[in-house]
Amino acid sequence: MLEFDGLTRRYGEVVALDDLSFSVPSGEVFGFLGPNGSGKTTAMRAVFGLIALDGGEVRWKGATVTPSDLKRFGYLPEERGLYPGMVVCEQIEYLARLHGMEHSAAHDATMGWLERLGVADRATSKVESLSLGNQQRVQLAAALVHDPELLILDEPLSGLDPVGIDVVGGVLAEQAALGRGVLFSSHQLDLVEDLCESVAIIDRGRLVTKGTVEELETSGRRRLVVKVKGDWNADWAKGLLGVTVSRVEAGAARLVLEETVDSQQVLQTAMQKGPIEQFGFERRRLSEVFREAVV
Amino acid sequence: MKYAIGPLVAVILATRVVMVVRRRKRRDSDSSARGADRPARRPAAIGSLEMLGDGVGLVALREIRERVRGRVFRVGTLIILLAVAAAVVIPTIGSKKHQNEKVGIVGGLDSSLRILVVAAGKTAGATVQLVSEPSLARAEGDLRAGNIGLAIVGGQRLVVNQPLSSSDTSTDALMARSVSASLGLANGLTSAGLSPDKAVQVAHSPPLPVESLQPAEHNSTAKTTSVYGLILTYVLLTQYGTWLLMGVIEEKSSRVIEVLLSTMRPSKLLAGKVIGIGTVAFLQSALIVAVALGLGAAVGSTLLHGSSPLDVLDILLWLVLGYAFYCWVYAAGGSLADRQSQVQSLAFPLQLPVLFGYIVSLTSLGSSQASTLMKVLAYLPPTAPFAMPTLVALGQATWWEAGISFLIMIAGIVLVSRVASFVYYRAILRTGGRVRLRQVFSGT
Repeated sequence: MLEFDGLTRRYGEVVALDDLSFSVPSGEVFGFLGPNGSGKTTAMRAVFGLIALDGGEVRWKGATVTPSDLKRFGYLPEERGLYPGMVVCEQIEYLARLHGMEHSAAHDATMGWLERLGVADRATSKVESLSLGNQQRVQLAAALVHDPELLILDEPLSGLDPVGIDVVGGVLAEQAALGRGVLFSSHQLDLVEDLCESVAIIDRGRLVTKGTVEELETSGRRRLVVKVKGDWNADWAKGLLGVTVSRVEAGAARLVLEETVDSQQVLQTAMQKGPIEQFGFERRRLSEVFREAVV
Repeated sequence: MKYAIGPLVAVILATRVVMVVRRRKRRDSDSSARGADRPARRPAAIGSLEMLGDGVGLVALREIRERVRGRVFRVGTLIILLAVAAAVVIPTIGSKKHQNEKVGIVGGLDSSLRILVVAAGKTAGATVQLVSEPSLARAEGDLRAGNIGLAIVGGQRLVVNQPLSSSDTSTDALMARSVSASLGLANGLTSAGLSPDKAVQVAHSPPLPVESLQPAEHNSTAKTTSVYGLILTYVLLTQYGTWLLMGVIEEKSSRVIEVLLSTMRPSKLLAGKVIGIGTVAFLQSALIVAVALGLGAAVGSTLLHGSSPLDVLDILLWLVLGYAFYCWVYAAGGSLADRQSQVQSLAFPLQLPVLFGYIVSLTSLGSSQASTLMKVLAYLPPTAPFAMPTLVALGQATWWEAGISFLIMIAGIVLVSRVASFVYYRAILRTGGRVRLRQVFSGT
């Protein structure tokens, strides 16, 4: 288990991390969410000692992270980093060796991951000659090649086409199934919803909420979808006490109900407007959880 | 001329071999999609370098491999080797080491005077062959045809084809002057009453030794070696420093630095880069020196002939020390940059002390007495790699003075490596613009 314990980091007046604490269990894909500049990248860099913390510490398996632990971590930074003029397979092998692998094992693992990620045919090309999507796959291979116990991936899905996203998503799920810790950040919330079992949401360096996707989507106020035939604005709902219109899509109003509101009362009000085409409760989307958390 | 052709052919052949090897490598790499399935075989030397701990050896090996593979390195090395070959070989073209000269004798010449003529020719660097000419007209014809270089008429006068100018230092001219002086002296002595044998004996007597009150000027060959050493040190320090600068900027601007530092300490990464580029630098320097010495010996160049091995070792030692000092400075400089386009603006101020030490030292070689400025520069680590070997070449530094400069240099290297590592550690992960030293030391 990876633990962030009271991480604090300030850049002058700017607070990048504000007593940030949460833990990432091994064996599941853990999403790390937050608006731009919320401190996700800073927190991830803190794992590798790439920034000096003003307070707090990062622990792995209950102890402070050591240089030998770092050899068993895989990292994909937000700003991708590879030698542009170096041959792909040599570059991955080199990074594998830096993580302590033997020469032949590094070579075999390199070719295996390039194959798995669909870029084996570019193994002898220079990185700079690859498309951005393929560079992204190579970068992911560099994070995975040494068979890490923990993966820290900063925006691993950006720049990938749908096929690439499926491949990467499959790899992350596979790694989690093997018992590895997988922490990744993303702005593509629908994808996070599908990939992750748990998420942590931070804002201005502070933890806002955390839990399994299931818990977060089913927690909070009830959400009702009502569609009245011929009605496109859901004006009928706007005056109801304890009811907030979240949004209206194609005539279907998504309503958020206070605890005290009787859903049958809402139904009757809607029926007075016209015939009902749709009526039912729904789960919160992760994007809604996110918006509500950071607003 | 024949001595010059050999080395030039060798250089051309070497170029050809490099091109063939590169073509083969390209062919190999075309089929290396299959070849990539097999790990490459590695020489034993690589295995030993890998033993350097915590990834230092791996970083060094990568640097060596990437540098040696690079077109800039190969073309640059070839150009330097051609320049060295030209500097060694060209001065020997047209210079005759020891010529055979035919001297025509018109009207006979006494045997003792014949010996005197042969000896005078040897003094001028020629092996004289005396040829009897039946008449003056025949001798003039041979002179015009170039069959003989000089004719002695009746032992009383000399005839040459072209008038002798005071600036003419050809073997023909030197020999004509030498024979003229020797025969003139012998004739004068004979006229004064000495027998011809006695006259020749006196005219052929060895010169007196000359002693001076001032100490003799230091070996001029050591000076020549020093000039070449200064040029080599300047070119290579600038080149290797720029490599380091560009290497550090490449890692920072491509952001690969974040991946590297996620698994190793900055000091280890920096040490690996310095060792790797330093190894390439040392091998390249050794190759250049070996080619210069080899070519010099092959063509009988007087430029390096007589160079003391100690002079050459002294230059190489200070080259290594200079690299050990400046590598840290350039690496720290590179960490301040944000993109490759800042290489020039960062390299220029770093090159100033190198340029200063080089120019002052080169100028000093022209005078027999080193200036006070030179004596100060010889003890300052940024300029000592140029100034101290120059003082040694001028014979103006004792062994203990060189030793003190050496110790100061070592202390300077240790100090600059600490400061540079600190700057590198603070600046290498800062992005979003060029980092100022003020920011590094204030921590803002």
